[in-house]
Amino acid sequence: MPDCTPLFAPLLSLFSALPFDCLQLRFMQQALFALLLLCPMTAALGVQVVHFRMAFFSDAIGHSAFAGAALGLMLAVDPLLAMPVFGVLVGLSVMAVQRRSALSSDTAIGIVFSAVVAFGLAVVSRAPGMARTVQQFLYGDILTVSANELAALLLLALGALLFQFVGYNRLLLIALNPIMARASGIRAAFWQYAFAALTALVVMFAVRAVGVLLVTALLVVPAAAARHFARTAGGMFWWAQLISVTSGVTGLLLSAQPWLATASGATIILVACLWFALGAILRHDAME
Amino acid sequence: MAENSAVSVRRLTVRRGAHIALHGVDATIPRGSSTVLVGPNGAGKTTFLLSLLGELPHSGQIDILPLNGRAPRISFVPQYANPAARMPLTAAEFLSLDGNRRPLWLGLGRAARRRAARALEQVHAENLLQRPMCGLSGGESRRVLLAAALLRDPDLLFLDEPAAGVDMRGEQEFWQLLDKLRRERGFTQIMVTHNLPLAAHYATHVVALNQTLVAQGAPHTVLTTDTMLRLFGVPIHLYPDQCAHLEQVCATCGAQCGLASGAGTLFSPLPAPPDGPARRP
Repeated sequence: MPDCTPLFAPLLSLFSALPFDCLQLRFMQQALFALLLLCPMTAALGVQVVHFRMAFFSDAIGHSAFAGAALGLMLAVDPLLAMPVFGVLVGLSVMAVQRRSALSSDTAIGIVFSAVVAFGLAVVSRAPGMARTVQQFLYGDILTVSANELAALLLLALGALLFQFVGYNRLLLIALNPIMARASGIRAAFWQYAFAALTALVVMFAVRAVGVLLVTALLVVPAAAARHFARTAGGMFWWAQLISVTSGVTGLLLSAQPWLATASGATIILVACLWFALGAILRHDAME
Repeated sequence: MAENSAVSVRRLTVRRGAHIALHGVDATIPRGSSTVLVGPNGAGKTTFLLSLLGELPHSGQIDILPLNGRAPRISFVPQYANPAARMPLTAAEFLSLDGNRRPLWLGLGRAARRRAARALEQVHAENLLQRPMCGLSGGESRRVLLAAALLRDPDLLFLDEPAAGVDMRGEQEFWQLLDKLRRERGFTQIMVTHNLPLAAHYATHVVALNQTLVAQGAPHTVLTTDTMLRLFGVPIHLYPDQCAHLEQVCATCGAQCGLASGAGTLFSPLPAPPDGPARRP
């Protein structure tokens, strides 16, 4: 695969003009750009995950990253390729089980979730040296994102934008009542599978940023916080964008400060949680 | 297959696992009718409706008959739309989800807003345009759902207990509104309901189900005491002149039965109430 570094160099150098010392470092510039691409996607999908009540779904997909990486290492396939492929397969499987069985949504997700985590652990247990390599996916590290990953992320962001443009209304109608949506001529199955596949892909990239343990938070917290501020569904989308992007950027910059020096993923989620707390307080005041 | 039929159903059987929800149902829905599906809980009413919508695997034949050489437009009014808790979706936004290419996050254009307002006007709910869906009362929510279904200008309108959980007055207003709209716009309406008095008043065609077809036809001929007894196991009087017993006043509910058909006695004879009008359901 060709090196994409020169492609992004002019754009990344713009970040160095910002008044933050940490942004003089190339890896920080790449991390910032990655978050500027990733956060709008997780925000938009997070809103839909909340509408569909599928927070557990994103958690299951996140955990499948662990199994995907382990499988990649076992089969000598680049884990960064194995992870998204495996994640999409898991996402589609969850959707298929959910649609075709009489099981409730959380039970269906729970079964697939258990299977992939058990599979990942079984694979890792066969090769003890693998555990350390796989462990990095538990915590994530946006600071190690490569230029090639940025290129993949950019393509995914464009695809996600198109998906949100065409599918947003349809998915919302499906979430409200799938029978009503189908009676209106919407191909609910297609959109649900497409949503599962896209969410799986985005979650896989989000795992790189915040790790398996916090990936659900990156989707759910901005959307949940947005609900406190927004008065319309359209407004909720934009509030989620604002909260997600500001959390990503602020969290990254804060984590790089010598007086804090925390993990970037955890700091991003903490900032998002502050947004949520602020929204809850303001809403509570407004209701009183 | 009658020319004035909108839907024809032949030997419809629906299985859910080992359970047979519907067995060998033959039914016809007249075009332009207000058809209601009645029967006790578990009778297969919603199963029948969902089968017509193509939602359930079944055996037998369902023909949604073409209208003027084209497939009829179909709309469905569910019992409720299911917004996630405190989801800030306004009625205007909800009404713009279907048939509006612009995603909600780009805002509602003037045309979409006008379209939503007009839809709400039809169901006498103009005031709900900016209200969040999760804050609507049962009756208000049903009106918005009906408005959304009417936006497609349906030829066939399916409704699954659309007024369930609404108080008697609210439900009566809903039926009245629906009846007016059907007469104005000429769609065929197929509705699951438990409200027999309103069905008797507003329906033009009744399909009585209890896992199989019990009766179908005009309300006056289907909603008889005898059919009610077969469906629900209790005597229900909807039409005073159709009581199967010989007494003037029903011993159970006090309905004034007028002329008896003389088909036999269902109730023990009791003296008529000493004064005042008899209760009617």
